[in-house]
Amino acid sequence: MTKWNKRGIIIQAPFAAIGEEMNFAETDEHSMIREMVREWAEAELTPTIEHRDANQIAPIEEWAAFAELGLQGITIAEEYGGMPVDDISEAIIIEELARVDASFAVFYCVHVGLCCKTISLHGTEEQKQKYLTQLGADKVGAYSLSEAGAGTDAAALSCKATLSEDGTHYKLNGLKMWVTNGASADIYVLFAKVTGHPDYGVKKHGGVTAFIVEKTFEGFTVGKKEDKLGIRSSDTCTLELNDCIVPVENVLGKVGKGFSIAMNALDNSRIGIAAQALGIAQGAFEAALKFSRERETFGTPIGRHQMITSYLADMATEIECSRMMVYKAAWAKEQHYENGAPRHSLEASMAKLKAGDTAMWVAERAVQIHGGYGFVKEFPVERFFRDAKITQIYEGTQEVQKLVIARNLT
Amino acid sequence: MPNIVVLVKRVPDTNAKITVSGGSLDLSAVKFVISPFDEYAIEAALRHKEANGGTVTALTLGSDACDKVLKDAKALGVDNLVRLWNQGWENLDSNGVQSALASAIGDLGSDVVYCGKSAADSNAGSTGPGVAERLGWTSVSNASAVSFEEAGVEAMIPTSSGQARVGLNFPCVVSMDKGEMEPRRPNVRGIMMAKRAVVEVISAEAPTPTVNVVRYSPPAEKPPGKTYEGAGNVPTVVQALRNEAGVI
Repeated sequence: MTKWNKRGIIIQAPFAAIGEEMNFAETDEHSMIREMVREWAEAELTPTIEHRDANQIAPIEEWAAFAELGLQGITIAEEYGGMPVDDISEAIIIEELARVDASFAVFYCVHVGLCCKTISLHGTEEQKQKYLTQLGADKVGAYSLSEAGAGTDAAALSCKATLSEDGTHYKLNGLKMWVTNGASADIYVLFAKVTGHPDYGVKKHGGVTAFIVEKTFEGFTVGKKEDKLGIRSSDTCTLELNDCIVPVENVLGKVGKGFSIAMNALDNSRIGIAAQALGIAQGAFEAALKFSRERETFGTPIGRHQMITSYLADMATEIECSRMMVYKAAWAKEQHYENGAPRHSLEASMAKLKAGDTAMWVAERAVQIHGGYGFVKEFPVERFFRDAKITQIYEGTQEVQKLVIARNLT
Repeated sequence: MPNIVVLVKRVPDTNAKITVSGGSLDLSAVKFVISPFDEYAIEAALRHKEANGGTVTALTLGSDACDKVLKDAKALGVDNLVRLWNQGWENLDSNGVQSALASAIGDLGSDVVYCGKSAADSNAGSTGPGVAERLGWTSVSNASAVSFEEAGVEAMIPTSSGQARVGLNFPCVVSMDKGEMEPRRPNVRGIMMAKRAVVEVISAEAPTPTVNVVRYSPPAEKPPGKTYEGAGNVPTVVQALRNEAGVI
């Protein structure tokens, strides 16, 4: 891990920390995974993304086809039907999906990163047997933390969970917001405050508890679907909990320990969103480069005009910088879970901050290079431009990332 | 149960732009893949195993850069990976390649060999028949489909008036064309199997090359196309297609 002194000087670089030689070459397996996902995404997502984006249709049919690749179970152990891959592979998969379809990328990212990974890390044997086996097959997972008054300030949850008198179940009440895969999902990792917990009402995040909630549970309703600027083929909904009955065995982790589960999950999936931003930037850049070679003004392809070459050079450089940071953060996450290295919060936040800003900036430049053609839906950069914005907002806003980074420096 | 060998070759991606500089090929920025017709050979080999059991060994000739295409084959489901290589083989000619492969195939004790009908780089189409000739085995080329018997295969091959179904007894070599058997794609389970797979490196004798490449040159550039817009130009386009292109 990178270590800084109080004057901001690096005292230990990441690769030296574990005594490995620096090696930036992609392994054969990473290349194979990249090629597999790229080929699939271009063949299966490209033909339908325009229609799904225009009409806000979730990629359910595409998800069913995607299952053939076996990638829905990459954060699930083999004994539960999954096929784990390393964290750099996970970043590559999300990057390649987002390069074609940012909506499908976040659909996937939430399933593997926020739902399956959280159950894998904190679930009991029974929970893993019951839920991971389904999530590794064809069921879709989601994660529900945010509420109207609790987004960045996640501890300000108002959803309540009250234990029944006979102690067999909790009754959940409240309204959750901004739930990615809200309507498509079957299984949710959902957070609420247990009213009977000693810290409830005493500490700000007192009583926060994670629950595994099935869509079919009594009192659970999918509410309003948001009409969004970007990632329109990913369904973002409210969830209404009206005396929603959740068995006590569906408490994930311990009662009252949900806040750290929630924050750990976001640390992990932050790298996924950084990878999504990287893919959006890459897709927008490729479209701009292609257009700059085909479009002629004054008898010359615009890509030979000095002004445009300057844009393209800056775009490529920013993307490469983001890629290094995203892969490094993924590597740091791997080191944390596999080798007991310190947590990767700093790397994850830096990668998300850089990649999110890069996606927005590169997509904007890509539209500019297209001129009027970039402002209409016939060209994909219009969609990349709309999709990029969310990467500066969710999984912790850019402002939250800066907060995390600054706290790690002092 | 049959001992099945499939020959795979590492070639530049068929979409790659090949540049020639100073009479040599510049492949520094080119992605390499399994030669496309070899994918049909892998598919035939895997279906053969699925039908009659046995083992499938993917065999290639080349430096360690070729391990990737062997792993690509492993991800699809082959059992064993073997790479044939010797120092000083950088410029083997077809004669040398076929001799070395024939020797290795004999050592592997194979019953049937599948390969692509030609490689995407040289497009020579000589490896399959050449290997069969050296081994003294039965051979068939351009098979579009195969079915599997106890002691041989039946292959569908093109004839001047249609198709013929021909039977071959083991040992034999079948060169596959693009046909009815759509090659499978890898999944993540296969890729993880490939990650754990070990490539066995073997060696063989090969005759000294008698054919040497003197220099490479790029194909002549295509003349720029013509663009017409609007319905008013239809007669002009028709005239051009008829008189200049001679296609209507």
